[in-house]
Amino acid sequence: MASGGRRQAAPGSGVRSPSLPAALGKYWAIFRTQLVNSLAYPIDLLGRSLLIVLFMWIFMNLWRVTYGASGAHSIAGLTLADTMWYLMMAEAVMLSKRDLSEEMTEQVKDGSVAYLLNKPFNFILYHFAAGLGHSVLAFGGNLVIGAAVVWLMVGPPPGIAGWLFAGAAVILAWLLDFCFSALIGLSAFVVEETAAFRWIYQKFLLLLGGVLIPLDFFPAWLQTFSLNLPFAWIIYGPARLFVEPSLARLGQVLLQQGIWLALIGGTVWILYRRAAARLAINGG
Amino acid sequence: MPAVSVRDLRKTFQLKQKAAGLRGSLRALWRPSFQELDAVRGISFDMDEGELLGFIGPNGAGKSTTIKILTGILHPSSGEAEVLGRVPWRQRQELAFQIGSVFGQRPQLWYHLPAVDTFYLFGKIYELDDRELKGRIAFLAEAFEIEELLETPVRKLSLGQRMRCEVAASLLHRPRVLLLDEPSIGLDVVAKQRLRMTIQRMNDLEGVGVLLTSHDAGDIEALCRRVIIINNGEIVFRDKVSALKRRYLTVKTVDVRYNEQLPPDFTLPGVEMVKVGRYGAKMRFDTRVTPVEPVIGGLAAAGSLADVTVSEPSLEEVIGAIYGQAESKDG
Repeated sequence: MASGGRRQAAPGSGVRSPSLPAALGKYWAIFRTQLVNSLAYPIDLLGRSLLIVLFMWIFMNLWRVTYGASGAHSIAGLTLADTMWYLMMAEAVMLSKRDLSEEMTEQVKDGSVAYLLNKPFNFILYHFAAGLGHSVLAFGGNLVIGAAVVWLMVGPPPGIAGWLFAGAAVILAWLLDFCFSALIGLSAFVVEETAAFRWIYQKFLLLLGGVLIPLDFFPAWLQTFSLNLPFAWIIYGPARLFVEPSLARLGQVLLQQGIWLALIGGTVWILYRRAAARLAINGG
Repeated sequence: MPAVSVRDLRKTFQLKQKAAGLRGSLRALWRPSFQELDAVRGISFDMDEGELLGFIGPNGAGKSTTIKILTGILHPSSGEAEVLGRVPWRQRQELAFQIGSVFGQRPQLWYHLPAVDTFYLFGKIYELDDRELKGRIAFLAEAFEIEELLETPVRKLSLGQRMRCEVAASLLHRPRVLLLDEPSIGLDVVAKQRLRMTIQRMNDLEGVGVLLTSHDAGDIEALCRRVIIINNGEIVFRDKVSALKRRYLTVKTVDVRYNEQLPPDFTLPGVEMVKVGRYGAKMRFDTRVTPVEPVIGGLAAAGSLADVTVSEPSLEEVIGAIYGQAESKDG
């Protein structure tokens, strides 16, 4: 038998710690495989991205009437063009994020979680890498199609800084959303059915996260309330940064995302360790 | 040191109970009640390095729960287990490099991608270097006769083809122990035989130990020298497959045909006549009660023999009888 290229742990040795490149290589491979998997059905991918056209058309009609009725050039500092570009970015993020909680719940319910727990990788990081592989492609499609439509409707997009700053914030937004999804998904290890938690989370994102309406349009008290919750930093943060790409705002968005990531990510980590110990797998 | 060592292993699940109807649902919300299910009840066994060990039992016997404890996915309620010197649920990630597993009803290959994509992904996950991985894929593709299948999306493979790819994928990292949970479920006769051949071949070539659970006694008969039978979470039989046969295959069925007519009241001492026709008869006897020699002698003396067939119950029937015995003891 040829000798293995893999590093072998000596029998009876202690904890095996993979090198950083090997560890990163695993998650990169998972990300890449999911990316290729998403390309297996290109027409389906394109079809999903076309949904943003419908949303933008509805928003355009809605906000054109609103701005017309108010008679103002801008509302809360946003012009009609700003609002449309904000909503394009908000929808692009919203439509591209992967609902990992549903996937995790299904894996616990049908028992396929067994295959993810008996491989030498971290279950949580596996899902994040796979989720990212899915989101990147969907986000790209949404962005290209959404931007083309909005450009036709209201004129050119914000400058290059808006794209760069929003791009950085979107990655952290996905991470934050992933932590919420993982929190809901991990509850499946205990309660098995998580549809109610998922429904509540989606509604929080829609209303308090700024998917349907920029938070700037809220009354002051509701705006303050929303900005003190994590949902705003998943959607509103990156989308607002896109239309007003100042360094001060970039710092504020990244700081808020960092704080919430530490808090919710830490909770996920603790819960994962506890949930894995009390896992009950169906079908055996 | 055995490759797998299990001592007094127990696993109890808590199952939520709910009475029928709306009232039952509301009561379950207000005051949930739980029933304890002892899936595994204090089992102990060893498996040697390189051994092909059969682990069989009916649905709900505790086979899969035991396998999941041995892979480190489930924590036992009590008892001890070691796989290759490691406690699975404490050293799951380390152990993952040394064991492979296939759960027949749960695919691990990416459904929309060709199997080779999953092979490359697993190569990274198990930290194989690229050159080694390519060589390993080529070797397994030949051993499992899947060269032509590797670049076909998994969803387009037949179940038998997919299962060979699944087992090959689980061997990429050269595990020392392979846990196969119902790998032949749903396969037709030909696909089962091919799968058995490849498992046997990998055992011969690489000395990989296999703990095999199956509903199909044929899998065990073809592959395993030793078998453990589990029922209701307890071991009800453990010995060599040959001993199982010797001990339980004592009932012989004889089909006999004569060149001349038989008397309608044809009978032999100590033999149960199942059916007597004009030119032949079907009968059954237990060799522990009635020796073979006088029966054969009696058949020869009864007339001019045209044909004789002696058959044993299938291993399936024997195992069914063992389950039945265990059930009646419990009852």
